[in-house]
Amino acid sequence: MKPSITIKGLSVSYDRKTVLSNIYLNINPGQLYGVIGPNGAGKSTLFKSILGLIEVNSGKIEIFDKKIAAQRKRMVYIPQRGEVDWQFPATVMDVVLMGRYPFKGFFERLNKEDIRIGESSLEKMGILPLRDRQIGELSGGQQQRVFLARALCQQADIFLFDEPFVGVDITTEQKIIQILKGLADEGKTLLVVHHDLSKVKAYFDQVILLNQRLIVVGDTESTFTEENLAKTYGGQLTMLHKTAAMKK
Amino acid sequence: MEGILEFFSLALGQRALIASILVGTMCGVLGCFIVLRNMSLIGDALSHAVLPGVVVGFIIAGISALGIFLGAVAAGLLSAVVMTWIQQNVKTKNDAAIGIVFTAMFSIGVMAISKVSREGAHLDLDHFLFGNVLGLSNADLYLTAFITAFVLLSVVFFYRFLFATTFQPVIAATMGISVNAVHYFLMLLLSFAVVASLQAVGVILVVAMLITPASTALLLSTRLKWVLAIAAVVGILSAVTGLVVAVYFNTTPGPAMVLMATLFYLIAVFFAPQKGLLFRYLHKRKTQLKIQLEDTLKQALKLDERSQLTMDNLINRLGFDKAGVKRHVNTLKGLGFLSLSGSSLNITKSGVEEATKLVRAHRLWETFLVKNLGLTEEQIHEEAEKYEHILTEDLLDEMEADLDYPVADPHGSPIPQKRNEPVHSLSGMMARQKAKIDGVQINEYLVTRLWRLGIGPDDAFEVLSATDHTIVIQMEDEDQVITVPVSLAKKVSVVSER
Repeated sequence: MKPSITIKGLSVSYDRKTVLSNIYLNINPGQLYGVIGPNGAGKSTLFKSILGLIEVNSGKIEIFDKKIAAQRKRMVYIPQRGEVDWQFPATVMDVVLMGRYPFKGFFERLNKEDIRIGESSLEKMGILPLRDRQIGELSGGQQQRVFLARALCQQADIFLFDEPFVGVDITTEQKIIQILKGLADEGKTLLVVHHDLSKVKAYFDQVILLNQRLIVVGDTESTFTEENLAKTYGGQLTMLHKTAAMKK
Repeated sequence: MEGILEFFSLALGQRALIASILVGTMCGVLGCFIVLRNMSLIGDALSHAVLPGVVVGFIIAGISALGIFLGAVAAGLLSAVVMTWIQQNVKTKNDAAIGIVFTAMFSIGVMAISKVSREGAHLDLDHFLFGNVLGLSNADLYLTAFITAFVLLSVVFFYRFLFATTFQPVIAATMGISVNAVHYFLMLLLSFAVVASLQAVGVILVVAMLITPASTALLLSTRLKWVLAIAAVVGILSAVTGLVVAVYFNTTPGPAMVLMATLFYLIAVFFAPQKGLLFRYLHKRKTQLKIQLEDTLKQALKLDERSQLTMDNLINRLGFDKAGVKRHVNTLKGLGFLSLSGSSLNITKSGVEEATKLVRAHRLWETFLVKNLGLTEEQIHEEAEKYEHILTEDLLDEMEADLDYPVADPHGSPIPQKRNEPVHSLSGMMARQKAKIDGVQINEYLVTRLWRLGIGPDDAFEVLSATDHTIVIQMEDEDQVITVPVSLAKKVSVVSER
């Protein structure tokens, strides 16, 4: 299989402090990846590097064999709920149509075809009736679906989620994970930063264990082991004990 | 009144009127983005910082509108660049950096103007500080019109860039939009607007024309395009009425415009639909009324159960005033929950149903407070009295599922059950029987509850043992043994295997 994201020797540092060091990673389509690691492990930095938002010290990232700048449209980033200003005067449709912006020239305007794509994305997420609502008036689960609909509207191939389950109830969490699994089955590439170690085995096909270095990447069953977790989390033993207890 | 009409028949009056309309529109629209981007302080800073540019423009080009304009814009942009540079490269707090730069620039401006005017030049500091809308020349007006057109067209053409970078700058960046370029472009537009408004309201007050109408509009609508339109209208209204008021009282127009803008803002604060204080007060009143009505109905049910339901007993139990209870009884009668013929008060069938829902909510809450929050039995009644009114039925279902379908509250009183038990329930099964969990359950919270126990839809299982309290099942594919309380099992729909 041809990888959708190829990372070769990626290193990033802020203010001379190393955040990511010499990462080699191939990420394949059709898989749901969990990105796991302690705070400060460089998970968001990895995302920012893939999205081309920060300057990297060294290394090369290719998206479908091309440079990032040429492939922006094919990638979407879904931020944490806490990063969004829910009071902003924007409707569901306003947000979803942002997914069409990368397809438009400098002076070009959105047209009927864009609106149609926006509506069908809302339809797929089951929130078309909410199209004219202000985003703050929605429930947590509906809000997450607005951003998923925007990603669909952009017809993206690569999805990067930053902790999509923070601040959503368990029912919604399961619905979202079903949607993500569906997208993976369609051949999309999905990366999810995730904190709750107890759910990793149930949710992800592949895991990327990260702590400044790449500890290990592979299918969840054989990779998400206590030994690898110990390497990732180092001295943070309480966390490990918790996970061990949960598994029993 | 006649004085005002006479004023607007003069050329200078008409120029002032047109300038007010232009400035009101431009500042209103641009101000929305300034407010939404939390840049009010920058708006204030830029307006002060243009002052030295005005003097330099004047020294180079004399008293020409264009020279002053270009000088002011240059000073504005220079300050914007310096502020951003300090914020990114020096360890000074962001707002302090803004304050340092604009006060320095403003001081240079004030010193330069007083020096230049003492040397005989016709440059009046007061006009720059508080505006001089009555002293506008035709050239000034043309320039203002040109700037307004430029600013409005820019907002229309670059709407999507402004929207994206204001709402979610990071997402905008992933789409290849240069957030920095949009920021500086907005600074340029802001400098333009400040310079164009200088004559109307002056540097000290121009920030009010930017943020006050925009804030008013944000209270009135939740759609950005409407917010922009409303801000423009409120901006125009503030500027024009301010001008009229100033002419009428023969005072300075700039501050009058600002005060009118403040007045409109205050009106919105109190009377805006949904976000206004009055609306919120009425909403609160409505909720209180709902609570009183629900309490009346619940007490009516309790009295009815003891065959003691009369108006007097109801008044005694509720402890609010007689007239109030009578009003509530009438309302409940209108809703079909109570019936009143002569002096005999009765609760109807739908009234009993409605009141039972409240009893269910109350007892579920009591169970929750004891089980999940660890309160004692004595502490819970009062709390549950308050909470029973606030959850929707959906959420109550979720709470019930979360509490594992309790049958009685902590005091031992039965919790009324919703009549939604499935035809084939897990609780009806006996040992050694095999079945599948139904893919469709009574509500989605039940599905979640089962999921957490390790039971998924369509999972096949065998019953190992069934007692009055628990049902033990073995899942077919994972050999996992799971114990399900009967209270929960009652709700679970199963499909027997053929």
